[in-house]
Parts: sequence; structure tokens; C-alpha cells
Amino acid sequence: MMNGTPPLIEAIGLAKHFGGIFAVDHLDFEVHAGELVGLIGPNGSGKTTTINLLTGHLRIDGGGVRVRGQPVAGLPASGFAGLGVGRTFQITQLFSRMSVLENMLVPGLARPHAHKTHVTREARRHLEFLGLAALESLAAKNLSGGQQKLLELGRALMLNPALLFLDEPFAGVNPYLRDEIIRFVQTLHEEGRTFVIVDHDLDAIQRLVHRLVVMSRGKKIADGPLASVRENQDVIKAYSGT
Amino acid sequence: MLDYILIQAANGLVIGVMFALIATGLTIIFSILKIVNFAHGEIYMMGGYFGYYVITLLGVPPFPAVLVAMAITFLFSIGLERGLLTPLYSPRIERKADYGILITFGLSVFLRNIAIILFGPFPLRPPSFIEGSLAVFGGLMISYDRLVAAGGGLLLLVALIWFLNRTVWGQALNAVSQSRESASIVGINSERMYMLAFGVGGALAGGAGALIAPIYSLSPSMGLVPDTQAFVIVILGGLGSVSGTIIAALLLGISQNLFIALLPDPSRGPSYANAFGLFIMMLVLLFRPTGIFGRHAVAMD
Repeated sequence: MMNGTPPLIEAIGLAKHFGGIFAVDHLDFEVHAGELVGLIGPNGSGKTTTINLLTGHLRIDGGGVRVRGQPVAGLPASGFAGLGVGRTFQITQLFSRMSVLENMLVPGLARPHAHKTHVTREARRHLEFLGLAALESLAAKNLSGGQQKLLELGRALMLNPALLFLDEPFAGVNPYLRDEIIRFVQTLHEEGRTFVIVDHDLDAIQRLVHRLVVMSRGKKIADGPLASVRENQDVIKAYSGT
Repeated sequence: MLDYILIQAANGLVIGVMFALIATGLTIIFSILKIVNFAHGEIYMMGGYFGYYVITLLGVPPFPAVLVAMAITFLFSIGLERGLLTPLYSPRIERKADYGILITFGLSVFLRNIAIILFGPFPLRPPSFIEGSLAVFGGLMISYDRLVAAGGGLLLLVALIWFLNRTVWGQALNAVSQSRESASIVGINSERMYMLAFGVGGALAGGAGALIAPIYSLSPSMGLVPDTQAFVIVILGGLGSVSGTIIAALLLGISQNLFIALLPDPSRGPSYANAFGLFIMMLVLLFRPTGIFGRHAVAMD
């Protein structure tokens, strides 16, 4: 975006193979501060693998990742959290036997110099925002699927991340909650957070994002403003399977 | 007869506390690293010898020697974890549970034999914490060393529960035990938690070894029986549950000693004690396959 400011996160020739198959095939991809990017592609196109590589959950086989211009090769997932890169999972991963509030407190208390009263106040503010305040003492495993997704988002917010990767936030949620999640993301984006959203729900994605990146078979086949990507023949071909 | 049963129950409580120290260590390691540490009994044995040599070679008094032995066992365990278990965390090893079994089983044989070479095959006994015995229950005696072992062990268990529930480290361990992925995305370095869990588990076993040394003496094979018992206890307590493990350990310690006491020929009792524990385990697993306390009723699952 702005000249001179390095991208918030950048993949350079990023590669990952499982056996002989490249799940991510020398991908170049960058996200600047303030963007709201949609990352789409057919099943198996390497979207989740890309997120896993960009958040330290998988070891990189080739290429590199930079956060704010700094190379972060070999950084464990916990290190990315420290750099302000948060994420959610396709299948929610909560501390299932902890309460809703405790789930929110773990990332807060894991921060250096954390103060419990302050962290608790912050957690309750986020729970209020996400409409989970009334459920704070319930065990996370007793929440509905949609509520678990919200809690996972809330837990990621406790890291005060500059960049958030959301992996299929709309999968398996009812239309009402889907609208809620769109609204939450919009509000958080207006507050200055950067988002990369992976999902198959193209309608929701189109309502949210300004820029669309399309992957197919581990490669990036389109990247640009919504309208131009929609008319891209490669994208239509990848989706129709021809 | 009642006095005799009471004193056996008291002895059982002492043994139960020792079992609890060993088994909680095992269960913490299991819940964080997801491996069964077959060398845990040998770490208990090493703790006993560390305590012995800290007293006899360095002249440290018996009470602080327990803490020194625990500190050495903590570092020794972290060394073992760094040296042998780090491949578990890399994607290079696919069958992690199998690797864990083989490496810790090999380690247990290695440590037992190295102990014969280094410390000799003959039993060694460190000086008592406090000489003498307390007369209880109409003339029957219970040695001060047993009281010290039980008291010291209970203190360690209370400290452990405080550590797990009230400190940031404890909460981080709890988080890793529930979901490694979640813990890592919220900024908890899982590898550091594996080190901490293995170190704390080892230190607890080491503490038990140092506390029990004046009562039963030290020998390189002393870890074998408590190790089997600890597995029984961990399963009874519901794999991965600390409070369940402590309660199961106390129950097993007491019921085992009462079983020995009530056997028609008490001199044969100790030989059957191990079988009794395993028999209880089989019964529990038949009727409650998740252990007495299941996996839900605990702080540190």
C-alpha cells in the first residue's frame, strides 16, 4: 500500500509438500496493514496449509515468511502470537474443559507483565462485544458450534493482534450468526485490525472483503479487487473443474 | 487386633502419599507429553541416590537434602527430556506413542544398570530424618521417619496443587494438556511446557525417593514395584487427572496395607501386595473403564 512500509506479512516463494505433492507451490503473497483479504479456492487448493505456514503451525519446505519486513523462518507458532499474528481454526480448538472466561484469560495471562484484574476486565469487554457475556462461567465444550467459533475469535482478540487469519469462520453457522460474524469483523476492521479470511461462503466473503486472492492446486491464480477477480477466466475454470 | 489394623492403615497412608508423589508426576507427564514414562520408577530411584550422596558426600542435613535431591532430579529429568524426547515434537516421527514407549523403556533398563555400576548392587541407607519411633495405639510404634515422609509428601502435594491451580505456569500446563494448538496460538511455547512437565514430574518422583530412602533403603531396582503401582494408580485416577491420582494413591496405599494385615499369614502378605493392586485395577476397569474419577472431575486434566 504505502511506499516504504513493509507488508504486515509476506510469503516469498513459500512451498510445502506432503510426499510428492506440493500443497503450497512457491506462493508469493502479501498483506498490508489495514487490508481485509479473502483467500478462496476449491477444496485442497492449499488455503489452510498457507495459513498454517504463515502462523508457524507447519514447517516451511521452501521460500520464506516475513512479518513487518523481518524474516521469521523457524519461529514456533507461539512466537507468531507474540508478533501480533492471531488465527482461528477450521475446526474450533478451544480449552474445552475450561470456562468461557478462563479460555479468554489464558492468552491474556500468558503475556509478560499481565495483571489479572486488567486482563479479566479486557476479557469481559470482548465477551460483551461478541454477545457471550452471559455464558462466561459455562464450560467451553457446552457451547454451541457457532458460539465456539465466536469464543475462538474472542480468545484471538485477547492477544490484541494486528493481523487475524480466520479459517472458515462461516462454515456450519446459521444465517443469523453469519451476519453477526460479518458485523464483528467489519467493526474490528474499522478499529484498525487486518484480516485474512478463508471460506467457501462466497456471498459472505464478497460482502466483507476488498481484495480477493484465489488459490488452485497450491498456486495463486488470481489476486486483486473483487470485481476483476470475479471475471477472471482462470478462476471460473478452477471452480468449474474444467 | 484393632490397634494392629490401625497401625497398618497408618503405614498404608505413608505408602499412599509416596505413591501419590510418584503417580502425580507420571500423570502430569502423560497429560502434557502424551507419553507413558516407563523410566519414572528409575527417576524415583535416582532421586533417592541423589539425596543419599548429597548427605554423605556434601554433608547436607537430611531435610534440606530432600530439596536438593529434588532440584537435581528436576535438572536431570530436563536433561533426559532434551536429550531423548525432542524427536517426539518433530514431524519426522509419525508413531509418537510407540517412540515414547520404546525410548522410556530403554531408558529404564539403562538407568537401572548404570545405577548398579555407579552405586553398587547392595542396599544403601541414608541417616534417619529423626531417630526413633512414636508410640501409638497401645504399644505399637510408628517411626518418625515414616511420619516425616508422610508429612513431607503431603506438603509437596499441597505445593503441587497450588502450583498447578494458582500460578501462570500451572495454567499454561493445563492449557497445553487440553489443546496444544490452542496453547501455541495464544503464545504459550509448548516445548517449554514439555520440559517443565517432565522436570516437575521427575522432581516429585525424586522427592519421593529421597523421603523414603531412610525407611526402605536404596537399591538400583527399587523403582520397579512403585512404578507398576503408579501405573495402576494413574489408571484408577482417570488418566491425566492430578486430584484423581492423589485420591487413588491414598486409597490403594491404605487398602493394600490392610489387605496384607488381614491375610491369614501376614508374613506372606507383602508378596501379594502388588497382585492386590492389579486385581483392584482390573475390577475398576471392568465396571468403570474411565477410572474411578473419569476425566471430567479434575482441575488439571
